[in-house]
Amino acid sequence: MTAAALTVPGGAQSLSNGAMLFRAQGLHKSFGGVRAVRDISLTIPTGSVFAIIGPNGAGKSTLLNLMSGIYQPDAGKMVFDEIDMIGIPSHRRVRCGLARTFQKIRLFKQLSVLDNVIAGFHTHHDISAWQYVLHGAAFRRDHARCRNEAASLLAFVGLEKRAQVLAGSLSYGEQRMLEIARALATGPRLLMVDEPAAGLNAAEVDALLDRISVLRQRGVTVVVVEHNMDLVMKVADRILVMDYGQYLFEGSPAEVQANPAVIAAYLGADFQ
Amino acid sequence: MLTVILQQGINGIVVGSLYVLVALGLTLVYGVLVQINFAHADIVTLGAFAAYFFTHVLGGNYLASIAVALVVGAALGWLMNAFIFAPLRNRSNELLPLIATIGVSIMLQNTMLAWFGPIPFAFDTPYSNDVIRVAGMFFTVQSVLIIVVSTATIGLLYAFMKFTFLGKALRAVSQDRETAGLMGINPNQLIMLTFVIASALAGMGGAMLGPVLVLTPFAGTSVIVKAFAIVIIGGFGNVEGTIIAGLLVGLIESYTTQFLDPGLIDIVVFALLLLTLALRPTGLIAEKREENV
Amino acid sequence: MSSPELAQQQATVIRAVLNSRLFWFIVAAIAIGLMPMIFTDSYWQTNLIVCAINVMLAIGLDFILGYAGQLNLGQSAFYGIGAYVSTLLIMKLGVPFWIAFCCSVLLSGIAGMLLSLFAVRLRGHYLAIASLGFAVITYQILLNWISLTQGPLGIYAIPPPPALQLPGLPIVEFKNLANLFYLTAGFAFLAYLLLDQLVRSPIGETLTAIREDEVSAASLGINCQAWKVFAFAVGSSIAGAAGCFYASFVGTLVPDAFFITESFTILAMVIVGGMGTLIGPVWGAILLTVLPELLRGVGDTRLIIYGVAVTLVVLFMPGGIVQAARFTAAYFRILLPGRGAGA
Repeated sequence: MTAAALTVPGGAQSLSNGAMLFRAQGLHKSFGGVRAVRDISLTIPTGSVFAIIGPNGAGKSTLLNLMSGIYQPDAGKMVFDEIDMIGIPSHRRVRCGLARTFQKIRLFKQLSVLDNVIAGFHTHHDISAWQYVLHGAAFRRDHARCRNEAASLLAFVGLEKRAQVLAGSLSYGEQRMLEIARALATGPRLLMVDEPAAGLNAAEVDALLDRISVLRQRGVTVVVVEHNMDLVMKVADRILVMDYGQYLFEGSPAEVQANPAVIAAYLGADFQ
Repeated sequence: MLTVILQQGINGIVVGSLYVLVALGLTLVYGVLVQINFAHADIVTLGAFAAYFFTHVLGGNYLASIAVALVVGAALGWLMNAFIFAPLRNRSNELLPLIATIGVSIMLQNTMLAWFGPIPFAFDTPYSNDVIRVAGMFFTVQSVLIIVVSTATIGLLYAFMKFTFLGKALRAVSQDRETAGLMGINPNQLIMLTFVIASALAGMGGAMLGPVLVLTPFAGTSVIVKAFAIVIIGGFGNVEGTIIAGLLVGLIESYTTQFLDPGLIDIVVFALLLLTLALRPTGLIAEKREENV
Repeated sequence: MSSPELAQQQATVIRAVLNSRLFWFIVAAIAIGLMPMIFTDSYWQTNLIVCAINVMLAIGLDFILGYAGQLNLGQSAFYGIGAYVSTLLIMKLGVPFWIAFCCSVLLSGIAGMLLSLFAVRLRGHYLAIASLGFAVITYQILLNWISLTQGPLGIYAIPPPPALQLPGLPIVEFKNLANLFYLTAGFAFLAYLLLDQLVRSPIGETLTAIREDEVSAASLGINCQAWKVFAFAVGSSIAGAAGCFYASFVGTLVPDAFFITESFTILAMVIVGGMGTLIGPVWGAILLTVLPELLRGVGDTRLIIYGVAVTLVVLFMPGGIVQAARFTAAYFRILLPGRGAGA
């Protein structure tokens, strides 16, 4: 089952089918009079890399929070894998196959790197209740399985040598990768990463890009919220551009680069 | 019957305004620090004892003793912030300062118990025995004094918060400490100021509660549980809410005493508290605080 | 075999033994067995029983506070519910002891679940106050519901647990304090084992995750509220069991034993011992039960000592005794033959 956390059965085929893994329509979210997200709709094809970009305050993180279930929208519809997500709290969405990382890194800093990843297997323990008390054979098998899979996930993000280190003492770039490994431990079909490249140097960004590509190959759909234009242009299949909480444009990287409204609002002189 | 209701109503407001004084301190501290000081109760008790000793042992004037209690309270607030809250501010565990204040509270209460003993002190003031009669109702001058002093203090505090620079700075710090800091406000100094004001209020409340309550080392505890209830019902950090809630609890207390059973007061108040928490955890009157993710 | 090699082998074996949980459990069992033989006077045997009860209360609270991160100030209420439920069942309805015991555990567990179902949506401070409120209300009910509990007058002449007759063994009377100690310490040991197993399973990881960062935990599929309720139910059940033993040991049950200061006392034991470890509260409970007895002249100031201890521990050594022990061990680097040889 080692590779199962990273492979989605039938994932590659779904891409060619164009099946939509995630659909949202007319999402609205306000906070006490501030309209953070206004009338956002999107569809994410299975097995693609979908990016959400926009200037600061555009509502990207709020949108991600709506998608992952931390906030419930004031209005709108959301369907993941044909399951209605409205009203479903965030921890239940994980069981459906939605995982995420956070803009502000939220690791369990007092736990080791390995233990952080193992925590991600919460929804995948297949043992009966009394095993938790008596620690029988099934318990030991599960324990060993989790450790092995965690090790392979750490290898996937390049942290295998740091398994026993306290998560809090990792470098910023390493912590980001650990968060991704931990989110992958939940065995997601859709992984949402919130500003993964923030604070990473060029080499780390390249490594991140590479990992996202591999994830796509293995059939994991990835949603990336990002500022870093390089990352997004290189790896995304489709990009949604937001501004002031609203839809600005959606298209392929080439289309986004060429769109005058996007350039005006966001890219400006930065990107030629 | 109407007289009784009115009488108890006024009694309720008297007690309620004292609760407001105590609860305001708690809510102000929570507003800036997002921390609860469990030892707040004991500042009230110590204020009461300070006032007692000033009047009955040193023979001082009762009104002056209120000022003395205020100073004692302020000093204790300064000490607690300097030695407990400030050092713990940067630890990530938000329960630790709370637990530390529980430790301080246990320490203070039992030290007072060792010094003063469990037998209640009779705290009489020159005003406790003068009675005014209005429209068939009886009020001691003490009650009038309490209402006057409390109202004046609360009014001053309210004006301070709304209209002065320091007051606005305090509110800024409670809303967003980092940004306030970037605006040139020193959050640490303001937090200290808040503590001192809050504890001074507690001390004052103690001085005025002393004659009204049974004065033992646990006097503060009997008030604090209601103060917590008030702060929650009114909303942590919400000054207007605390005032309304405090008066409400005072009224509930006096009507429960009159029409039900004094022993049930705590149960009624806490049941109301639990009900509030069940329905609106951020208080009946407060706005919701969204957590930033 | 040369001398350094032999020494190194010995060191490895010793280290393996010291790291073995089984070894320490055996040591603990032996220690429990020996206690009543070392302390033969009834005064100290009484203290031993109180120690065992406090250990149960402390580890129960630690499961909720140290592992799940919930500041539960209502432990005194569950303790009291356990004591009164079993006592009333035994005295008024003639229910056999062990059935009453099970009812105690069940009802205090349910009380814990109810409190937490309601309180776990709240942030830390609100939960603390709500649990304190629950403790106050419970105490007031125990005090004022005279027809049921006889209020401050108390319930008298509560019998100890009935004598045990196991086939082939002599009858075990629990009027005998040593035997009663074995019983309570035995249950405390079992409770510890149960919690230890839970904590070393994915459940322990789950609770730790919740304690560290709930939003993060939810993003991993953890239903934080459900698990907090679970932690409360377990911790309060153990407190209820302790209450049942307390009632049968003390013989006279009054509400004052369950005043809210009891919650603070138990909290002190957890904090001083080391919140978030299981062995810490055991040491905290033993220390804070025994120490005031040793310093007998300062009986009244026992609580002052608790207060000072909690404050100092939180300020300077939040990990309590366990943290202090680790520092000391690291400082002296446990003395073994061949120390310089390394691993």
